[in-house]
Amino acid sequence: MKRNMRVLASILALTLALSSLTACGSSNNEAKPSDSGSNVSADAKDTITALLPPVSGKFQDKFKQLEKEFNELYPNLTLNIEPASWEDMTQKLDTQVNAGSPPDIAFIPSGGIPKYIQQGMLLDITDTATPEMVADYDKVPLEYMKNGNGLYGFPAYMEVHALGGNKQFLEEAGIDWKKVQKDGWTIDEFREAIKKGVVKEGDKTSRYGFVFATAGVASKDYLNILLKNAGMPAQFNTDLKYAYTSKNFLEVLKDIRALIDDGSMPKELSSVDAGKRWNMFLTGQTMITGKGLATFENNANENNEKIKAKDGSEVKGSIPVDYIVLPVPTFLGEKQQASVAVDGYVTFRGTKEPTAEHKANVVKAAYFLASGNVAATTNNDLFAAHITESGRKAAETMPLNRNEDNKAAVETLLQQATPARPDIPTDLGAKAIKMEDEVIVPKLQALIAGEITPEAMYETVKSAAVKAFGEDGVVKE
Amino acid sequence: MTQLAKPLKKRRIKGDGGWGYAFIAVALVVFAVFTAYPVVSAFIISFQDYKPLGSTFVGFDNYIDSFKDSLFWKSLVNTVVYTILTVPVALIISFGVAILILPLNKKLQTTFKAIYYLPAVASGVALSVVWLWIFDPMPTGILNQVLGFFGINNQNWLGSSSTSMFSLVLMSWLSSHGTSIIIYLAALLGIDDSYYEAAELDGASFIKKMWYIVIPCLKPTTLFLLVTGVIGSFQVFQNAYLMTGGGPDNATTMVGLLIFNNAFKYFEFGKAAAQSLVLALIIGVISLVQFKFWGKDVEY
Repeated sequence: MKRNMRVLASILALTLALSSLTACGSSNNEAKPSDSGSNVSADAKDTITALLPPVSGKFQDKFKQLEKEFNELYPNLTLNIEPASWEDMTQKLDTQVNAGSPPDIAFIPSGGIPKYIQQGMLLDITDTATPEMVADYDKVPLEYMKNGNGLYGFPAYMEVHALGGNKQFLEEAGIDWKKVQKDGWTIDEFREAIKKGVVKEGDKTSRYGFVFATAGVASKDYLNILLKNAGMPAQFNTDLKYAYTSKNFLEVLKDIRALIDDGSMPKELSSVDAGKRWNMFLTGQTMITGKGLATFENNANENNEKIKAKDGSEVKGSIPVDYIVLPVPTFLGEKQQASVAVDGYVTFRGTKEPTAEHKANVVKAAYFLASGNVAATTNNDLFAAHITESGRKAAETMPLNRNEDNKAAVETLLQQATPARPDIPTDLGAKAIKMEDEVIVPKLQALIAGEITPEAMYETVKSAAVKAFGEDGVVKE
Repeated sequence: MTQLAKPLKKRRIKGDGGWGYAFIAVALVVFAVFTAYPVVSAFIISFQDYKPLGSTFVGFDNYIDSFKDSLFWKSLVNTVVYTILTVPVALIISFGVAILILPLNKKLQTTFKAIYYLPAVASGVALSVVWLWIFDPMPTGILNQVLGFFGINNQNWLGSSSTSMFSLVLMSWLSSHGTSIIIYLAALLGIDDSYYEAAELDGASFIKKMWYIVIPCLKPTTLFLLVTGVIGSFQVFQNAYLMTGGGPDNATTMVGLLIFNNAFKYFEFGKAAAQSLVLALIIGVISLVQFKFWGKDVEY
C-alpha cells in the first residue's frame, strides 16, 4: 500500500510537471474568426474586423465614431474595431494569428511584417490597392509596408527616432542647438557637448549630459539608431551580407562605452528604462535624452502647463522644460541617416483564402484608417508628420501648437530617413532578429553594465554571425 | 404505442464508485480539455515545424536544435541555480513563520495568515512594479538608500550580471510564502499534544521538541512543499519576464522564459514544445528522486 501510494504520489507530481506544457499546446481559442472566407459580392454586406491599440491618447475614444463614419462611406460594410492596450496587443494578435483566425486589420510596427509573412498569415494587397490609394502615400513610408514584391497594408505615420534636449541646459552648456538641428554633429562633438552638460555636487552627479533608455530590449533601439549613422542602415548590406561584422560596428561599441566612462552617462544606464529616463529629463537630471519622438515635445508642454497650474498633477519634482529635437551624432565620417519607426494598418488573412470582394473591402477599411481625416487627427495628436496627401490636406484646418524649429528639424530628419529594405528575405530577417535578441542585446547589456569590453562583444557577435549566415554571408573588413 | 406504455427504465448510479466518478467528472473534463489535450498536442507539435496554414513533420530536429543551443543549457543552469537558492530558503522561512504564528491566539493567527497570504492575491505585475521601484539602480533607489546608510555604494541590481540573479532570488525570499505558511500551520495544528506533553515530562528543550517531534511529524508536509516548490521554481517565468527580461547577458534567462520566447516571440512552437517536454521530463525525474530519497519513511 505504502509503495502504491508512493507511485501514485509520483504520478501526481509528474502530472503537475506536465502542466508546464500546456502553454505550448494549440488549445488557445481566444481568436475570433474573421469573414475572410465568406463569399461576398462587391455590394454584398461584409464585416471587416480590426484590432487597434491606443495609437494616440484620444484614439480609442473615437472607435464608435470611426465605425459609423466608415459605414456612412460604405453602407454595405461594417467595421468592427476591437480595442487592445499596447501591452496586450502583440499577445492578442499573435494568439489569433497562430490559431489561424486573425483580424482583417491590425495596427503594428512595420518591423513585424516578416514575422507574420513567415506564418503565411498576411494579406498581400498589391493587386487590390487602387493606384489612387497608393499615390496618396509618400514613397519611403509606403516601402516599409512591403516585403519582396508584396504590399501588406498602409502606413499610419513615420516617426523619427531622434534625441531630445532641454533648451535651457543646452544653452547653459554653450551648445548651439539650432546649428546642430541644421547641420548635425559628429560623435566627437557630441561627446564633448554632453561632458559640458554634467553637473556634479561633490562626488555625486546631479545632472548627466545624456541618458538613453537601455534597460532590456530598449538597448536594441539605442544601438540601432547609432548604427544607422555609422554606415549600417540595415543589418544586411545591399548584397544581403550581414553588416554588423564590419569594423564600424566595433567603433560604435567603443563609443557607447566611452560615453559612460566619461561620466556623461550614468554607470547604471543598463537599468534605466523609458519611464525612468523621461522622468530624469523632466526633473532636470539629464540635459539630453533618447530616444526622442516628436510627441515628447507635446508631453513636455503638457507637463509645463501642469506646473503652471500648480495643482500637483505634474511629474513629481519636474521643472519647466523646452523640448528641443536633436539629431543622433554621426560616426566615422558617415552620412546622417535617421532611424524611423513606421507603424501602420497591416492586413491579415485567415486559414481560408479570402474572396476578391472581401479583400477589396479590407483594403477600403485600411485606407480609411490610414489616410485623410483619421490619419490627420491621429498624427496631429502624436505631433507626427503627415505621410499622405489626403492627411496633409485634412490637417490644414487643424491647429497645432508646435515649436517651429523642432518642426523643421523633424522634417529635415524625415528627408534623411533610412530607406526600407523589402529585399531582405523573411528567413534571413528572422535569423537576424533572433541573433539580435539572443546575442546582440544580451552582450550590449553586458557592455553597458561594464562587464565585457567592446572588443569581446564584437568578437562574440562576429562568431555568432558567421555561424548563422556562413563565412560568405557576412561583411568582412 | 406499446413502447410508449412501457415504463421508463430508471438508470441509477450504483454504489459509491459511480457517485465518485460523477463528482469528479467536471474536474476530469476540465483536466482533459485544458491539460491533457494541450500536452498531447504539444507532444505532436514538438515533431513539427508548426504553421497555422499547415505544419510539416521534422522528426527530432526540434530536440536536436534545442540540445545544440547553448542558450538552452544556460537557461537550464540558471533555473537550477534559482531553484537551489529559492526553494530551501522558502521552506525555512515558511516553517519559521508558521512556528512563530502557532502559539498566538486564533484571531491573531488568522490576521497573520491573511497578511502573509496577501501577496498571493495581488497581481504579479503589480508586485513586480513595486520591486522595480525597490531595485531602482540610482542612489535614490529604496534598496540603495538602505545600502547607503551602511556606507555601501549603490548597486545596479537588475542591470548587472553579478546581482541580477540575486535580485530575483531576494524577491522570491521576501514574497509569496502565504500558501506554505498556511499548509505548515495546518500540519503543526495536526500534531497531537500528547507528544509535546510526553517530551515536557522528559524535560525536552524547545530545540529537542523541534528536532524529535515537529520536524519528523511535518515530513510529509515538507516533502509536499519541496516537490511542488521545485516544480514551481523550474517553471518560473513571470519574475524573469517582468523584472529583467532574461538579461543582462542572459544571466536570468530561465527555461520557462526561453520557451515563451521561442513560442510567442519567434513562433517556433515546435522547438518550444520540445523544450517543454524536456523540462517536464527533468522535473519528473527530480520529483521521482525526491520521493525516492525523502519519501521512504513518509506516512501518507
